[in-house]
Amino acid sequence: MAGRSGRTISTDRKRYTKGFFSSWEFVLVILFVAINIFCKIISQNYTAANVLREMPKYLSEMFLLFPMAYILLLGDIDISVGATVCLSATVSCFASNAGFPIGAVVLIGLLTGLACGMLNGLILTVFTELPAMIVTLSTMIIYRGIAEIILGSGGSVSLNDVSGFSALAGMVGLFPYLFFLVLILGVVFTIVSAKTPFGRSLYAIGSNRSAAFYSGIKVQRVRFIVFSITGAMAGLCAVFLTSTLFGANTTTGNGFEMDAIAMAVFGGISAVGGKGRLAGGIISAFIIICLRIGLGEINMNPQVILIILGILLISAVLAPNISTKIKEKKQVLARK
Amino acid sequence: MNEQTPEKKKSLWNCITASREVSLLLVLIVLCALIGIRSPEFLTISNIGEILKNNAVIMIMALGMLCVLLTGGIDISITSTLAFAGMTVGMLFKYKLIQSTGLGFLIAAAIGAMCGAIIGAAIAYGGVASIIAAMGGMYIFRGLAYLVANSQWAGADALGSFTNFALSSNLGFGVINNVIVITILCYVIFFIVLKWTKFGRSIYAIGSNRTAAAISGIHVARVEFLVYVIMGLLAGFCGALSVTIYSSAQPNMVLGKEMDVIAACVIGGVSMSGGSGTVGGALLGALILSVIAKALPLVGIDAIAQNTVKGVIILAVVILNVVTKRMMDRSNLERRKL
Repeated sequence: MAGRSGRTISTDRKRYTKGFFSSWEFVLVILFVAINIFCKIISQNYTAANVLREMPKYLSEMFLLFPMAYILLLGDIDISVGATVCLSATVSCFASNAGFPIGAVVLIGLLTGLACGMLNGLILTVFTELPAMIVTLSTMIIYRGIAEIILGSGGSVSLNDVSGFSALAGMVGLFPYLFFLVLILGVVFTIVSAKTPFGRSLYAIGSNRSAAFYSGIKVQRVRFIVFSITGAMAGLCAVFLTSTLFGANTTTGNGFEMDAIAMAVFGGISAVGGKGRLAGGIISAFIIICLRIGLGEINMNPQVILIILGILLISAVLAPNISTKIKEKKQVLARK
Repeated sequence: MNEQTPEKKKSLWNCITASREVSLLLVLIVLCALIGIRSPEFLTISNIGEILKNNAVIMIMALGMLCVLLTGGIDISITSTLAFAGMTVGMLFKYKLIQSTGLGFLIAAAIGAMCGAIIGAAIAYGGVASIIAAMGGMYIFRGLAYLVANSQWAGADALGSFTNFALSSNLGFGVINNVIVITILCYVIFFIVLKWTKFGRSIYAIGSNRTAAAISGIHVARVEFLVYVIMGLLAGFCGALSVTIYSSAQPNMVLGKEMDVIAACVIGGVSMSGGSGTVGGALLGALILSVIAKALPLVGIDAIAQNTVKGVIILAVVILNVVTKRMMDRSNLERRKL
């Protein structure tokens, strides 16, 4: 029930039944086209080649979007992902400097992230009374704190040998490897959430946790898996981030959790759980990335981009709510 | 007589575990005593005053956060609001547009209230989830702070007489520092409002059961809106306050400290799902957090490990909370069996 209903523009179910054209995703596609036209107008340099060259910087954040969407669907939240990225990036940088081959370094980064995610999941499933917000808040402080300890007084580390990580940042023609990986993962995550029992149980848990429990869904196991996946994806994000930054410091991954949540919510995934589709989140992520690149091309102050993002985020949730309210009022008036 | 002794012990133990504030107070006293034994200079009056002054901003904002958490919401935009208000005041002083200290605080509080009103309207009247609205506000206000700053900052010389406020103690009759007086004042006001006024009780009512509150005639949306306005007002006020305390205004002021404010509330026993929590708890939570932060270097924990220790302590406190609650529930059940 709740799973099928992504955010729809119209509440008038008779005329628009499940039509793509009335869906939030359609609005996002239009917005995406509009943003691209807008960027093209304001900047001469907004070309496909330039956009694709700039993209890897932002694309790695999308690894966080997919699992974050799952977590939001569950009705939970994870604000420790940015800190997990920081810790994983730090550990993999040190592993690379210690002379491990790139394959092992990637594995170490992934496992570090996985361990962080599993710890979150373990605490949340053993002490189910605790809200995810406060647990991930404290683990956020802990993970970043551990990274600070590892980094030492200098607060940063840079790679001695960048050849391995440069290979990760390679391109196929115009497209970076990262782009394909994000696309593949995006498709996998979308299909899993829409078509598999596991994916549907996310919606069930998010809509009504006790109902899901009594209908035989292993709620805590699903939560544990999702939080562990989130950690692993944060590790993946860290590895690719390192391949563009060639190092890590105490501020690596700062605010990533907020960006991931913003992308998901802007894509129509409800922050209270059970509603939304991953496709919307992916489109909205590309909207935000294109906007950032476009405004970056004309050397717009990054703070203005922050303000625009904030306004977009609030209005994306506000606009449908207000239109629903107005329609309800009209219906009431009409009945009178 | 012999039979009564265990009974009495049990009641004392119950008294400690039943009241969150009493157990927190005990933790605070034990903590202070332990640190005091380790390093005697910790318990001097000047040191305690210094701790209170340096954490006044967190302590005051914990009051607003308490109200927000009581309604079942959350506000992570507060430090951005603080930076925006503080930066604006700093710039106004820098360019000699205002001179009086009172006006500085007034403007900062007004800006904060306005920021709070924007978020509050979106949450209370627009039906936006509080975390989302607050996140948007966090981006917007921090961005505005940078825009106002325009890659400048205001130092002690630019702020002039404004910095004197945090140094003098004319409000405290020459004995207590102004900042501490204001903190105490805020706590007294909030204690009274939350305990004995209609508005205060309706905040609790909304957090406990929103539908019941609405049916019993409370204007849920209006109260919720006002809560965020109050939070913004306090954050704005703290913007001016932190400018005087640290005698500098920078756009990246207190970045990330909203987590400290939430942590102070949670340690103080404020429920994240709304409806339970007290002013005393928030105060003790904030005090414990600030004592720990101050004490770690004194007991020889490296400055670099402080964040980790802080995180572990927060996590331990929340988990301990759950464990004691479970134990209490179990013992209550057993008593019923007998």
